[in-house]
Amino acid sequence: MATLELSKIRNIGISAHIDSGKTTLTERILYYTQRIHRIHEVKGKDQVGATMDFMELERERGITIQSAATYCEWKGSHVNIIDTPGHVDFTIEVERSLRVLDGAILVLCGVAGVQSQSMTVDRQMRRYKVPRLAFINKLDRSGANPRRVVEGLRDKLKLNAVPMQIPIGLEADFRGVVDLVTMKALRFEGDNGEHVVEEEIPAELRGEAEAAREQMLDAVSMFSDELTEAILDEKVSEELIRDAVRKGVLSLQLCPVFLGSAYKNKGVQPLLDAVNAYLPSPEDVENTAVDLANNEQPIVLSPDPNKPLVALAFKLEEGRYGQLTYVRVYQGVLSRGLTLTNARTRRRVKVGRLVRMHANEMEEIEASAGGDIVALFGIDCASGDTFTDGSIEVAMSSMFVPDPVISLSIKPKDSKSQANFSKALGRFVREDPTFRAGVDPESGETVISGMGELHLDVYVERMRREYQVEVATGAPQVAYRETISQRADYNYTHKKQTGGSGQYGKIGGYIEPITDRSKDFEFLDEVRGGAVPVEFIPSVEKGFRSMIGKGRLIGFPVIGLRVVLNDGAAHSVDSSDNAFQAAARGAFREVYPRARPIILEPLMKLAVEGPAEFQGAVLKTILQRRGTVIGTTEAEGFCQVEAEVPLAEMFGYATDLRSNTQGKAEFTLEFARYSPAPRDVTEELIKKYGNRVKGGDEE
Amino acid sequence: MYQKFLTARSPVRLLEKGLHGGLGKGNLGLVLAGHGVGKTPFLVGVALDELIRGGNVLHVGIDQTVAHTRAHYDTLYDELVSQAHLDDAAQLHAEIDRRRSIRAVTSARFSAEKLREAAKLQQEMGSPPALVILENLDAARATREELRGLRALAQELGAEIWLSAACAGERVDGLPGALADSRDAFGVVLALEPDGKHVALRALKDHENPDVSALRVALDPRTLLLTRS
Repeated sequence: MATLELSKIRNIGISAHIDSGKTTLTERILYYTQRIHRIHEVKGKDQVGATMDFMELERERGITIQSAATYCEWKGSHVNIIDTPGHVDFTIEVERSLRVLDGAILVLCGVAGVQSQSMTVDRQMRRYKVPRLAFINKLDRSGANPRRVVEGLRDKLKLNAVPMQIPIGLEADFRGVVDLVTMKALRFEGDNGEHVVEEEIPAELRGEAEAAREQMLDAVSMFSDELTEAILDEKVSEELIRDAVRKGVLSLQLCPVFLGSAYKNKGVQPLLDAVNAYLPSPEDVENTAVDLANNEQPIVLSPDPNKPLVALAFKLEEGRYGQLTYVRVYQGVLSRGLTLTNARTRRRVKVGRLVRMHANEMEEIEASAGGDIVALFGIDCASGDTFTDGSIEVAMSSMFVPDPVISLSIKPKDSKSQANFSKALGRFVREDPTFRAGVDPESGETVISGMGELHLDVYVERMRREYQVEVATGAPQVAYRETISQRADYNYTHKKQTGGSGQYGKIGGYIEPITDRSKDFEFLDEVRGGAVPVEFIPSVEKGFRSMIGKGRLIGFPVIGLRVVLNDGAAHSVDSSDNAFQAAARGAFREVYPRARPIILEPLMKLAVEGPAEFQGAVLKTILQRRGTVIGTTEAEGFCQVEAEVPLAEMFGYATDLRSNTQGKAEFTLEFARYSPAPRDVTEELIKKYGNRVKGGDEE
Repeated sequence: MYQKFLTARSPVRLLEKGLHGGLGKGNLGLVLAGHGVGKTPFLVGVALDELIRGGNVLHVGIDQTVAHTRAHYDTLYDELVSQAHLDDAAQLHAEIDRRRSIRAVTSARFSAEKLREAAKLQQEMGSPPALVILENLDAARATREELRGLRALAQELGAEIWLSAACAGERVDGLPGALADSRDAFGVVLALEPDGKHVALRALKDHENPDVSALRVALDPRTLLLTRS
């Protein structure tokens, strides 16, 4: 059976800011591990593109959006690399990837250092408790300064960053590294740096290397008493150092730092050695699931092949080979021919083909055991679903999926593309839970929604490139909500007598806000003595529900509403389901304005980072946009401003910020929460809505 | 209306009574306590009192993160409104957030000049601070000139500036470290000390008033608000 030895498996992510060279590094890793036989550069200079960046769009932009998993071997270890996207707008993808990682390489640009994106990614890694190594890349570039980057890791990310190497030369003169564990100089020879040559440390670097080693030992000995003793006895062995570093990394208290230039083929192999030596295997990491048979109590999973299977589908892709589902096996064995149970839908599916993926090439396998990452063919499921062999009822704890905050109308420019258009939407929706598509019942237009402007842009482009559908889009719309702010009573009679049988329904009760916002809508039946016949109570609820999809202020959904029905009357002949539904609709129209309805708008969390001298300029861009500054952090000539800003004000922010800071500041944006809109904004929105519905299409 | 209710438990009211009108604009106040006794919640309470009454606050935390400081504000605000049942607690909270500015600086980079810059920036943005909190001043390093500079800044801004500094033990025996030389720079000096189930607040200095025994108050050790008895 082709399952792998557990202690030799490494499931790692390579996480970084855009343009710090992550894709190039991945490409080199695949080359040195002989998964590919030629090196391609990012941005498709040779029309082939780096192997991991297999989507055309990514090729063009030189960035990686989709996370694919790829497998390689290095000195006896089996390494699954999960390529994590670096954009904040794709946070759900980043977080889903982090979930299945056991460890990560944090790539930093040797010139730009720790940027705000690195901070976001690092925060996510901290949340998922992912041990990490740092790789300072691009040391061949002018302005490269690894020491400053290490300081950034310590100050900005609060990592206990400890260099394990020192550079031999820098910028154009960068030639290799000195390994502080073996105290050897490493040079990378051959056309593609494939031959690592170990030699004595150049005399001029000897002193610096010894000082750096001493500092490294000092920091590392915190994690091993044996090493401390050995240092005192002057009997330090390489193995003792490696054990101590590994302990520090696994406890998340140490971040060893490695150096190189992936583009110039330097420093990659020692980094791979470090992955083997220091990052955890699936045995070293505890994973938990929730027990569906026992009130969702957490249970610890173990990668034991004899235990029942538990696997998580963390990524779906529809590639040229059909639908592919990436799964991480947490417990038990996943093998070809096995029947799986989807914990969410309870549907049973048979494993047809099981493959190990290497970007867009693949290798068929028979079985895969706990800790491994593989892909399945032709399984219908959603991202985030748990599979078991049916003998236990557990789910990997569900991941929180936020509601979309922005939407825009979209249609194919050419009616012939309709089929491809629908196919593309169907696939995007399955792949990404934060991306939604639907039809606006009023305009009949297709509307897509997501977590930010860029998020939707990317799908529009993918539609064009992968499905050859040219689309026209409307202006982005903010997803407002309406809610009420006080209790109001209603008492409404619906009566109609127009020949034939009439309509009669009378209802009384009140509506009130659900203050903790735990539910969007709640209907309580408190009718005593059958004032409203039992069979019509669902009709009343249905009537109210039909009204909350579109609030009376600006036509957005009403949330946080509790409807209580406690009185009413019926007529033995004229009362009907329809009559009570109509009564509820009438009651809602009548009572809603009296419950002081307000508009809620999505607030975004904004973090801007730039040189301290632009602090005032940055604050101005935030205040101009109705932003609330939460705080400012200043260190080392840089400042980071955190703020909450309404999404409605954020369109075109990138341009504004660039022009106000000479392009030296950058920002990240993510959804924070819904918050009541201020009065002037409310009035403006109501006015606009009034103009729109003036045509008389309102009931 | 609710303002009176929300600020009823604030120790600021008692300071105003016990200290002949409180700290006063243009003055420097100092809070001393051992580690973990509650300097931060106490000063956040003073700041919230100002914010609820409509003033702007600049809070500078030395070697503190923005998130840490903000969490103190949110905790105390929730505590205050939990007893008030406000309809518009969320709106008031948003308004308070808008009028408060939190800045995090490292001790290595802090100077009176930095604080002046920050206060000026607030002024330019149209929200001049009525109260400045400077949390976690390094008592061993604060020089006379620096404190004089801070006092001058308080007068220039027409604001109160409250500082906090840590003492070595739980008991406060006068001004620690280099601060002892600068007693005259402060209008008011307060001490917080654990006292059974409470935290005792007492004055070490009250402007030019020689008798400081009038002020001795028991505070809730968690919130540093007046105890409810």
